[in-house]
Amino acid sequence: MSDQKYNALVVGAGISGIRAALDLAQQDCRVALIDKSPAMGGLLNQLDFQFPSTHCGMCKMLPLVHRDRSSQFCLRKGLFHENIDLMLSTELSDLAGEPGNFAVKLHQRPTWVDPGRCVGCGLCESVCPETVPDCFNEGLSSHKAIYLPVPHAIPNAYVIDLAACSRCGACEEICPTDAVTLSQSNRKNFNILVVDDELSIRDSLKEWLEDEAFTVDMAASGAEALEKLKAQTYQLMLTDIKMPEMSGTALLQKAKQAYPDLCVVMMTAYATVETAVEAMKTGAEDYLIKPFDPDTLVPMVILIYQDIEAARDREITVDTVILATGTSFYDPADEKNIYGYGIYPNVLTGIEFERMISHSGPGGGGLNRLDNGRPVQKIAWIQCVGSRDIQHNADFCSSICCMAAIKEAVLAKTLSIEPVDTVVFYMDMRTWGKSFQQYYDAAEQEHGVRFERCRIHSLSQDNLTGDLVVRYVSGSGRTVKELFDMAVLSVGQRPGNKTEHLSRICELPLNAWGFFSTRPFSTIQTPQDGILAAGSATGLKDIAESVISASAAARSASQIITSQNRHIKPPVKEMPDDQTTKTDNAPFRDVSREPVVLFVGVCTCSGRLNQWVDPDALARYFSMDPDIIRVAFINQACTADGWQQMKKEISDCLANRVLIGACHPYVFLKKIRELAQTVRLDPSLMDVADIMAPVFRAVAEEKKDIQAICTGVFSALNSGAESMKRMEPINPQPIPIAQKTLVIGGGIAGMTAALAVADAGYGVDLIEKSDRLGGNLNWLHQTIEGVSLKDFLTDTVDAVEKHPLVNIFMSSRLISFEGSAGQFYSTIENEEKKAVDVTHGAVILATGGHEAKTAAFGYGTHEAIVTQKELEIRLAENQIDPAQAGTVVMIQCVDSRQGSRNYCSRVCCPTALKQARHLKQLNPEANIYILYRDMMTCGFSESFFTRARNEGVIFMTYDRENPPAVDTGAGQITVSLTEPVLKMPVEISADLVVLATGIVPDFSDDLASLLGIPKDSHGFFQEAESKWRPLDAIKEGIFACGIVHSPRSATEAADTGRAAAQRAISLISKPAYLPDKTMAIVRHSLCSLCERCIETCPYGARMFNLDHTLIQINELMCQGCGACAAVCPNDASVLPGHSGRRMLGTIDAVFEQLHN
Amino acid sequence: MRSTSRHILGSVKEMIQACIQCGTCTGSCPNAFAMDHTPRHLWQMVLNDRTRDVLTSKTFILCSSCYYCTLRCPRGLPLTDVMGSLTRLARTENPTGFKKSHLFYGQFLQSIRRHGRVNESELMTLFFLEMKNPLLPLQYAGLGLKFLQKNKISLPFVEKEGSHGLEKIFEKVREMENQA
Repeated sequence: MSDQKYNALVVGAGISGIRAALDLAQQDCRVALIDKSPAMGGLLNQLDFQFPSTHCGMCKMLPLVHRDRSSQFCLRKGLFHENIDLMLSTELSDLAGEPGNFAVKLHQRPTWVDPGRCVGCGLCESVCPETVPDCFNEGLSSHKAIYLPVPHAIPNAYVIDLAACSRCGACEEICPTDAVTLSQSNRKNFNILVVDDELSIRDSLKEWLEDEAFTVDMAASGAEALEKLKAQTYQLMLTDIKMPEMSGTALLQKAKQAYPDLCVVMMTAYATVETAVEAMKTGAEDYLIKPFDPDTLVPMVILIYQDIEAARDREITVDTVILATGTSFYDPADEKNIYGYGIYPNVLTGIEFERMISHSGPGGGGLNRLDNGRPVQKIAWIQCVGSRDIQHNADFCSSICCMAAIKEAVLAKTLSIEPVDTVVFYMDMRTWGKSFQQYYDAAEQEHGVRFERCRIHSLSQDNLTGDLVVRYVSGSGRTVKELFDMAVLSVGQRPGNKTEHLSRICELPLNAWGFFSTRPFSTIQTPQDGILAAGSATGLKDIAESVISASAAARSASQIITSQNRHIKPPVKEMPDDQTTKTDNAPFRDVSREPVVLFVGVCTCSGRLNQWVDPDALARYFSMDPDIIRVAFINQACTADGWQQMKKEISDCLANRVLIGACHPYVFLKKIRELAQTVRLDPSLMDVADIMAPVFRAVAEEKKDIQAICTGVFSALNSGAESMKRMEPINPQPIPIAQKTLVIGGGIAGMTAALAVADAGYGVDLIEKSDRLGGNLNWLHQTIEGVSLKDFLTDTVDAVEKHPLVNIFMSSRLISFEGSAGQFYSTIENEEKKAVDVTHGAVILATGGHEAKTAAFGYGTHEAIVTQKELEIRLAENQIDPAQAGTVVMIQCVDSRQGSRNYCSRVCCPTALKQARHLKQLNPEANIYILYRDMMTCGFSESFFTRARNEGVIFMTYDRENPPAVDTGAGQITVSLTEPVLKMPVEISADLVVLATGIVPDFSDDLASLLGIPKDSHGFFQEAESKWRPLDAIKEGIFACGIVHSPRSATEAADTGRAAAQRAISLISKPAYLPDKTMAIVRHSLCSLCERCIETCPYGARMFNLDHTLIQINELMCQGCGACAAVCPNDASVLPGHSGRRMLGTIDAVFEQLHN
Repeated sequence: MRSTSRHILGSVKEMIQACIQCGTCTGSCPNAFAMDHTPRHLWQMVLNDRTRDVLTSKTFILCSSCYYCTLRCPRGLPLTDVMGSLTRLARTENPTGFKKSHLFYGQFLQSIRRHGRVNESELMTLFFLEMKNPLLPLQYAGLGLKFLQKNKISLPFVEKEGSHGLEKIFEKVREMENQA
């Protein structure tokens, strides 16, 4: 295989991998995106609904600028980007080298179906005799051995599950495009040597394997085997361990020394399994325990065959590697299986439930019991299955299951036709993210989901009715028995299946729970230079956090690529030469003044088309059209020869419009781009009409109505031709971009963002309102892990201050802000009222937040009632004598998660644990009480909760309605509450009361209106989309990071800084922006300035220019959706290339008839 | 809230400090219906130093050591062992409210030690004598008659003493308890 160069390798094509790949690709880096499964999209492929929108929305990750370089359709279906090579069924098998020059080996498992030829007609599936459980539907349905990995991919090629395939050859025979190659002939060349001293074993092995068409030789001893190995090349050796003279182990060593590529499988009696396991350490591939039957042996040999012989290995070099390998799920059917998963039919995992309720799922979205098919009326969600469970090595919280369970319960309530009762059994409801708490409240109050705070110990089944019996302790302390139709297990997460394997290949350490370790103050930087991790590979993350970490990883990766000075050119002032201008150097011909010259190339698919459609009739019909210069029939356009012929025909007739009639438009996307370069014709003037779909559909449905097929093919071709004829050449003009970024706020997030942008070689103006950089880190001293924040802060401040590209405005504020993405004009004013004007292409908002003020719990009435921030400061300044603090009461959720501040500040629970443990260390005799509502120790911080408890910190819960009372009478502080478990009043005489008041954002109304962006309901930054575009403002060109976006720790804030920098750089990385082809324009002479288009535009891309009294379009923000064209009463707003004439003409063409 | 006797529960408290009050133990416990405090309650009482309430509770006496709670506890706490420790503690501390349980438990063990199995008539006779409450036997009269009718009560003092070899076990337990 040829050696190929890429800038980055992204391992894992789930959402993190896609985000990182897209970010890098947008910056002109060449990316190899690989995934071990035969479909991209990862876990999210199986999830149809995400809260809060109950939609998917993955497509919102697609680029908004330079859209033409990428496909613009559902991301679950596929991704085509000119800078991304997507390789599926591919794994990383070896890595060597250093940042800037990693030699990477990729191992691609064959799917036995050529995706370039497979048209997804499904004929093979109909003839396949083998049936296996369907992975995509989590085994709730079944598929054939030849199957579609996901129902919706484009191109949707079939793959073969070789373990299930019986190699009957039926699919190979029936495939109309010869895409299936199941040929047995290659197996003849796969030589297997069987070494055993017993003749009967040798004989039966030979017989079994020869039945599978392998070539088999035998040897009776080690010495004979070595001789045979010398005489001929073998790919696989099966050897007995216990043999006279030379043992199998000795043979293994000798054979491996001489033939390192030889694959060896040990055969052993049960007693010597340990020897076999030892042998695997010295190079054996696997072992078999005697006695074994063909059902054990044959699949193993086939897998080895597949790996060795049939797999395609590629070697590529990359500058950097991003591991976005995600997580796997805990298997609830473990040795204890307390929930009877797999035994009781109505016990499902969360993913299985999602598949069940999906319209593409096995039940088509219906909620029926799996035992008797009756509608489900009552469902229980059981939280923390395999999470927060030390008995299952999970002293961590999986972070996403609480919200997933709430969403699933709401879905059940809203999607089910029958009324459904839903109960969520939980320990702590972890609503730690933006808007999570509101969603939880709505689920409980509006949808009527019931929440029971009790862990469910086990499930049993009523054998008569099949109902599931749940026995639990209710809030009142009573033991309750309740019956359910269905139970959904919120199974926890585990490291991705290949994490350990990858950690060995990349020499990466793993943390205590088997996830990739990262450096301090980063969730993406691994200890290995040049290797980054994104998404949940380093810890449990939801969609938004994964997307953020992926962008941050992309930033660090492109940092490495830039420092290697490859591919990415340093920014230059003049316009780049790849713009379409009317000079001879332009890549494409200017055809705007030429009459239409349309070439129609029809692929006959090896003559198959002729069975249904008369080519002469087609040619006759089209030759009557004066715009069509030539109709050419090409035998197989998908082959190199066919394509060459197509190119030649097009060049010969000097066509300025091209229509290709072929089978799979997406197969031709890349080819068309390449063709555009050869014939110097803009690719927007070329199109592919899918003429084979009617043929394949008819074949699959076995309705061979020749007339219908003929009409279908003709319609596709005729409408395609009509559409191309009326396609106007579009020649957008480049827009200059100010390659600078404005960062507002000099806290850790802002500084990290500024550094990230500056390190990429772009100028930064950093505004800090105070006279000191650092924000909240100026008073924070250490993290919950006990790492000092001081060095982190000093290093960052130093780097920012010394960076030549960072211009710092201290004690300054933004007083004026105008312009739009690419060209913003701001005025910054300092203390002395001196104003400076700056121009920049993007803005990063990082104004942060501060601890909320409170008047609750007697704050202000007694000096020993303090906030968490005050405690941190006093402890650091030694103002608190730990010996005097004999009893400390910490109250969580002060004014938070209720009333007007109905959100979780996320940092307070870990902070309380940090301080409690710190105080306990200073004074082990101290009594420390933490009064909390739900302990928000998501992810690995759960382990600190366990530690704090072990160290003797006492925890008591309270609920929103019954908060504790603090009394400061007679100078003595008394905290009283009703202990919810014992239902007894408790009074604590406290020496110190610490209130966790949460975080409020520093984001003034003035600044928001100056920037022209809205705030969310709690005053934080309002993102364009909470899951898929978490850091982008609705107004293009403005991004946010740090706690003005949402409360988070210093480490997480720094990562959002990197991610926001990446988003900004995507915008400003080129000095000029060439707008995408599909973009609205205004014909000002027709415009009546009614401003309807301004209200309609969903991207806010239009504004009323008061100076020139006209409607102006921001080319960067316009996505070409056409809403403005539809709403315009005067046809003043139009989408070039999508004129009414063209659209109506195309529709008319569909209904025209071909007369033979 | 803070009790001077907190050290009494100290060792037990250490064993269950990591309890997160999830309720798995109570939900699992087959005897929870008869307990005055469910296991979950009991742990919270231990953590809150309610020493007297804990030691006079019948919960640990009613524990049948089925080990369900220990098996299922997500924190992996040795809950059945804690029940045992509390029983031992209650016997050593012997608070007033615990007298009945303590004496019954003591006589039960003594009876086993003598006969290798429990001798119901002997156990109850000695228990009543020790409780020094003349009205107490009346409370048990109904239950006793039911048992008699079903032949569930063996006759007093018919089995030979010391012929069962349990003595070694009792000696070993005493040795271990002394060490602890």
